[in-house]
Amino acid sequence: MNSWLTHHTQALKLVIARFQQNLFSNLFIALTIAVSLALPMIVYLVLSSFSGLVSTIKSDSHLSLFLKQDATPTMIDSIHNTLATREGLKQFHFISKEDALKQLMIDNNNQDIMSTLTENPLPDAFFIEPASLDSAAIQQLKEDLSQLDGIETVQVDDAWLKRLGYLLVLGKKAIFILALLLGFALFTVIGNTIRMQILTQQEEIEVSQLIGATHSFIRRPFLYSGAIYGLIGALLALIITSIVIWLFNLSVSTLAAEYQTDFSLHLPNFNVFLITCITAISIGLISAYIAVSKSLFKSIN
Amino acid sequence: MIVLDNVTKRYPGSQEALSNASFSIEQGEMVYVTGHSGAGKSTLLKLVAAIERPSNGTVLINNQNVSKLRESALPYIRRKFGLVFQDHKLLYDRNCYHNVALPLAINGITGADAAKRIRAALDKVGLLHKEKVMPITLSGGEQQRLAIARAVVSRPSILIADEPTGNLDKNYAGDILNLFGAFQQVGVTVIIATHDALGTTNQAHKILHLDHGRLTSQQVTADE
Repeated sequence: MNSWLTHHTQALKLVIARFQQNLFSNLFIALTIAVSLALPMIVYLVLSSFSGLVSTIKSDSHLSLFLKQDATPTMIDSIHNTLATREGLKQFHFISKEDALKQLMIDNNNQDIMSTLTENPLPDAFFIEPASLDSAAIQQLKEDLSQLDGIETVQVDDAWLKRLGYLLVLGKKAIFILALLLGFALFTVIGNTIRMQILTQQEEIEVSQLIGATHSFIRRPFLYSGAIYGLIGALLALIITSIVIWLFNLSVSTLAAEYQTDFSLHLPNFNVFLITCITAISIGLISAYIAVSKSLFKSIN
Repeated sequence: MIVLDNVTKRYPGSQEALSNASFSIEQGEMVYVTGHSGAGKSTLLKLVAAIERPSNGTVLINNQNVSKLRESALPYIRRKFGLVFQDHKLLYDRNCYHNVALPLAINGITGADAAKRIRAALDKVGLLHKEKVMPITLSGGEQQRLAIARAVVSRPSILIADEPTGNLDKNYAGDILNLFGAFQQVGVTVIIATHDALGTTNQAHKILHLDHGRLTSQQVTADE
């Protein structure tokens, strides 16, 4: 146990000393790794911020049917029946003008305005979710429903939101591919760096093997090296990502203010950071292990 | 403690480097392996030090059969030996002190204990005052002595040297051989390969003479 610990601290000290010796070039390698990590991280954060936005403002309805103030219960029944028999609707529901007013009264901010009203200005309404998001079909539906008796207006709302939702799903797939490709690049960068280190330490490795170093003794510093590249890369990636998101947010918040929202892009949270670290360290370890196993242990035995 | 029985070593694509060699070496013996260059001296040393495995025959080191050991066990066998290589194999990217530190690091010995041993080894070969010097600045004889310091720092029971006096002038060669003699006198087995007629010491020693991979004579000289 004690000698195990000695071996590990020994290897770690050695690696840190070597890292400091070539601080500048090592930092550049770490920076390359950091950029490969930061790219998918930034795209992920932007997308997840947007999907958060979508899920908060998304409502179920896509068409709103507002009825005339003087619409009679018979008219409402007739519209209800039409909707019930019509194809191409996923679902619909009715909200009467009284319900709508009650809903509005619940909201504190509106109570002052409400108290000044002598009569209910709100219309009865149907809210419809169409089965398809095809804009031609929705347009057709709108025209048909406008013909019905007792309809004041038909409003098409948030189909764009759903489309944005689909785009975000596509975007998430794209990040996955991006992360995969950049992960592969990372693998190559770290692997090649370790191979270079092995070349410069070929003599030491050879002598060590001749005088009784075990394979793991020789492999250990390189594994640490790979893991440290991963870790420093992940830390730098976190810094890069945070700076980029912060810069974006400077413009995003002014834009969002125009829309009366306080939307902003999320900064990387602990989970994102942890996953990035674990991924980078694992890639570092695995590529170092492969590089050492391929390059070493040829000369002897 | 070291027994070779009918050992043959063949490298791929070449003739037998060593053919049917049988001999044994006892604890504390001084052994010279002689012969012209290419006679198989280095091969014999590598077999003894468990760096190579025999193609045929058995090599026993402290009653352990090298051919039958798992590959992962070989490094531990090698640590019993102190090796002085023909080309020194010093590491020129670090100073003398850290060159000598390498075998101890491999054995997991660091810190104050290691420092004491390293200085003792450097002192024994007369290089204590040069511990911070880079090996490239040392003379040929000093480099050889540094290599010896590295070989003895982990206190091996067997010291193996391949052509330790090869490139040295006579005075230096004598110094180096005396140094090996001193180790033998404290109970270390010393095995030295050399191609030239020996300016050997006066101590009792065994000579294994090789000719084209064959062991042609074994003779034992007693103390004078």
